[in-house]
Amino acid sequence: MQGGSTGIGYGLKYQARCISDVKADTDHTSFLTGTLSLKEENEVHLLRLSSGGTELICEGLFSHPNEIWDLASCPFDQRIFSTVFSSGETYGAAVWQIPELYGQLSSPQLESVASLDGHTCKIRCVLWWPTGRHDKLVSVDEQNLFLWSLDTSKKTAQVQSQESAGMLHYLTGGAWDPHDSNSISLTCDSSVQLWDLRTMKKTNSIEHAHVRNVDYDMKKRYTLVTAEDESGIHIWDLRKLKFPVADLPGHPHWTWTVKCNPVYEGLILSAGTDSAVNLWLASSLGRNDSASDSLAAPPTRRIEPLLNSYNDYEDSVYGLAWSSREPWIFASLSYDGRVVVESIKPHLPRK
Amino acid sequence: MEVEGGGVPLDEKARRMRDLLSSFYSPDHAASAASLPRNTSSRFATLDTINTTAFNADQYMNLLVQKSNVEGLLQKHVEMAAEIKNLDTDLQMLVYENYNKFISATDTIKRMKNNIVGMETNMEQLLEKITSVQSRSDGVNTSLFERREHIEKLHRTRNLLRKVQFIYDLPTRLDKCIKSEAYAEAVKLYTGATPIFKAYGDSSFQDCKRASEEAVTIIIKKLQGKVFSDSESIQSRAEAVMLLKQLDFPVENLKVKLYEKLEQFLVDLNLESKELTRASVDVNKSPKQESVPHSPSAFAHEASIREFAKAVWAYKVIFLHSEPQLSKLAQDLVKKHFEATHLRIMKQVNSGDLLAMLRLIWTDVLLMEEVLPEASLPDCALEYAHVAVRDYISSSFGRLLRYISDSLMTAQFTPKEGIEEEYSLQTALDAGKKAVTQGSTDALLDFRQLLDQETELLFRLRDLTIDWVQEGFRDFFKKLDGYFLLLSGKGNTTSEDVNLIEMPGDKIASGLVLVLAQFSIFVEQSAIPRITEELATFSSGGGVRDYGHICPIFRSSGETFLHLYIKMRTQKISVLLKKRFTAPNWVKHKEPREVHMFVDMLLQEFKEIGTEVKQLLPQSLHHKHRRTNSNGSTASSRSSTLRDDKLIRSNIQKARSQLLESHLAKLFKQKMEIFTKLEHTQESVITTIVKLSLKSLQELVRLQTFNRSGFQQIQLDIHFLKATIKDIAEDEAAVDFLLDEVIVSTAERCLDPIPLEPPVLDRLVQAKLPKTSEQNQDS
Repeated sequence: MQGGSTGIGYGLKYQARCISDVKADTDHTSFLTGTLSLKEENEVHLLRLSSGGTELICEGLFSHPNEIWDLASCPFDQRIFSTVFSSGETYGAAVWQIPELYGQLSSPQLESVASLDGHTCKIRCVLWWPTGRHDKLVSVDEQNLFLWSLDTSKKTAQVQSQESAGMLHYLTGGAWDPHDSNSISLTCDSSVQLWDLRTMKKTNSIEHAHVRNVDYDMKKRYTLVTAEDESGIHIWDLRKLKFPVADLPGHPHWTWTVKCNPVYEGLILSAGTDSAVNLWLASSLGRNDSASDSLAAPPTRRIEPLLNSYNDYEDSVYGLAWSSREPWIFASLSYDGRVVVESIKPHLPRK
Repeated sequence: MEVEGGGVPLDEKARRMRDLLSSFYSPDHAASAASLPRNTSSRFATLDTINTTAFNADQYMNLLVQKSNVEGLLQKHVEMAAEIKNLDTDLQMLVYENYNKFISATDTIKRMKNNIVGMETNMEQLLEKITSVQSRSDGVNTSLFERREHIEKLHRTRNLLRKVQFIYDLPTRLDKCIKSEAYAEAVKLYTGATPIFKAYGDSSFQDCKRASEEAVTIIIKKLQGKVFSDSESIQSRAEAVMLLKQLDFPVENLKVKLYEKLEQFLVDLNLESKELTRASVDVNKSPKQESVPHSPSAFAHEASIREFAKAVWAYKVIFLHSEPQLSKLAQDLVKKHFEATHLRIMKQVNSGDLLAMLRLIWTDVLLMEEVLPEASLPDCALEYAHVAVRDYISSSFGRLLRYISDSLMTAQFTPKEGIEEEYSLQTALDAGKKAVTQGSTDALLDFRQLLDQETELLFRLRDLTIDWVQEGFRDFFKKLDGYFLLLSGKGNTTSEDVNLIEMPGDKIASGLVLVLAQFSIFVEQSAIPRITEELATFSSGGGVRDYGHICPIFRSSGETFLHLYIKMRTQKISVLLKKRFTAPNWVKHKEPREVHMFVDMLLQEFKEIGTEVKQLLPQSLHHKHRRTNSNGSTASSRSSTLRDDKLIRSNIQKARSQLLESHLAKLFKQKMEIFTKLEHTQESVITTIVKLSLKSLQELVRLQTFNRSGFQQIQLDIHFLKATIKDIAEDEAAVDFLLDEVIVSTAERCLDPIPLEPPVLDRLVQAKLPKTSEQNQDS
């Protein structure tokens, strides 16, 4: 219940699933979020945390043609972002540019940079390389992986290569390795697949993992965090895929998404359908040989990995984003359209 | 003489007299005597120089005149005159005396002259006689010389001959000695003869030497035999060794051989103890005979050990300074004993056997100790016993663990269908419970035997044993927990204990997880307190370790297992639901005709869980009470009224754009606690699973987009579920809330959310209900 007192709230008009940190905006802590409404006109909100950090200000409100299932901000241009949308049976993905605002708030139209056409089934997500400027874009649908070559100035996007993950694998999402622009991990029904974008081939996989969401550790290479289907968070070393390096309990119901902090190593946020956001510290990450003998050790000596649980949400939390500008701040979005920005400062491990 | 004879008053006079005499008899003496006064005169010009030879009258006069006055001179004069007179009389006396002496000397000479005249003839006669004696003795000498030489030669020859005789007799004598077994004599003889043999053995006494050497070899052989023969007395054997040593026989070889013999003995003994092992394994099979401690083989063993001890003692007596070797040997014996024991411990023994073995070893050790205190065998044995007891304790705990796991594993491998399974979980749990209580009690009884016995070996280890047992129990429980975790796939498979128990297949039956959960609770709540209690009596007075910290381990793993069970179950249901929701195209769904079969499957799942859970978990005692209680609480009542509202609402087709409404509703409604704390009760577990499943259903619905028919289908399904799920789940309010949430969510995700008319809904549900109840009766 502690979360309620510290969080800064902002209400969207409709239900929403996705929120993204505007990484390229180095002057402000901003987030982009898009609504998910089947019947109403959907909106994209550009939110900015006021300089005092006490208020969320809507910097821009743009109408979006369809309900937004995925939204990602371009890491090198704050005005560009991508959405995945659908409406009934139609679906699509596009890259948008926020128009110059000239002080007006009322919803002007978004400028379309490129439309990522060519998908034949439901699109899952669009991925940007998180580390810096990169002219490639990845989009994932249920069965295929597309690599796009994007030119924002010419406003063109072309399919560079495309590969099917196989009929049997229903892809559900993915993450792009921040340390290696050629490797990407995709989640599907029963495994996590690691792909090499140069060859467009699967290089490795974590089998028997019913993973809902993945995220790479920004600080530590070869570290992948997965949210397992039935609760539980696993931390993997990509060089040793047989067993997870560490294991966090996750949420009582589904752990929907996990996000690694871009600066503080081992800090992980997870959001779940139990209407809570949990902040974990996987401090044993890396030197985790103690997992096996934690059994033998008296339970009191086990370090409690859960730093805090923010559970002042009315509905399942699907959207989660760390601010890369102020890495102790994150934004969470529950299904009822409520954005809550929290500071984890009181829980930061003392260094 | 004169000095002594003359007193001090006579001094002056006497000295003068002597000087006079000396000057008279020997001028040399006078000169030497005169040297003294001269010295004095040179030093002091005194009046004393008057008595010296260097007397100068003028000088004296001058001196006198100078020094003395007239009176003195006069006195001197008188003195001198008197002295001169005295001197004159003295002189006269001397002359007279000397003359007398001269006369008497002359008389003597005259008399001597007369005496000597006859002496010459006498002397001549004497000479003559002596000469004749000499010549005679010479004659005798020469006449006897030859014979004497001859005799001497004869004497020497005789000695030689005697020696030769001795040498020649040596073989026969040796033989005789051999016959009479007077080896000591023989050896003495032989050693006496050896120098001769050394000197002449190659030439003159070759045969003799050979013969006697042969005899000696026989002797050596006999002696060796004697040394080796156990029937001989130790004394004689020691003597024999001494003799052999004297014979320059390499005793070390002998020693080594004898030692080897001892070693061999030990090896044989080992075999025997193996037989013993077998024998007592047989005994093991018939535990009633176990109380007979002295089987014939045990007797044989004791006898052989006695023998061995005797041999060792003999060896020790025979060979001095052999203790270290023997100690080693004896320690080897103990070691072998304990190796055998170890093997048997590995093979599984009960403490009675162990005791018997230890007792046997201890008697052996005591026997050996008597003989060989240097080996400090008791310490050595104690050390080994230490290890053995420890091994024993750990192995029995290991066995206990295996036993428990075996009894639990029956749940894993029994066929999964029908009635059989219904009871298998129960039986597995019961078996496990029994195994842990019975097993640990048995183990304790077993260990108690280790303490009660009066075997010294164990008595000394008593405290340690108690310690080990306590520690063993602690480790045992820890391992048990670790094993459970491993079994459930929670533990890290790379941990070191894996080898202990072979892993069952990758998949583990969810039932087993439940069994483990319940079992952990059992261990925590009753097994550990009970064992603690028993341990208290066991260690009788000794402090009981605190097992308090183990309980939380089991409690937490019990919870873990329960969570795992729920996870496994919900995962299965999730898969089911996921298939249901991802497969059809909901946007093009056809009108609902009947309740979809996934509901059946879901209910079937719930039923299965119900049977599993009901077998194992206790009913919550206060569940009825709690329900009424929760109904009384504002939260639930509010939500239940809300439910009614919602029902009405959905029924009267007001469901369009209800987002705002639901928002509003949520504002007023207290948050429904879906994820309540899990308890170890049937109701809690089932309800949790149902809740989680329904929540999953809701989440899955939110990911789809429905057309009207799709929405209606879901509505129908949920309506049916609502009717049936009440019997299964406990927390009615929460379940209803969740079911409503599913419908609301579907409506939200529906392009055209027009619900079915309630009569249609009811008709379809009614059509389905009898079928389900039929099925229920069937199964």
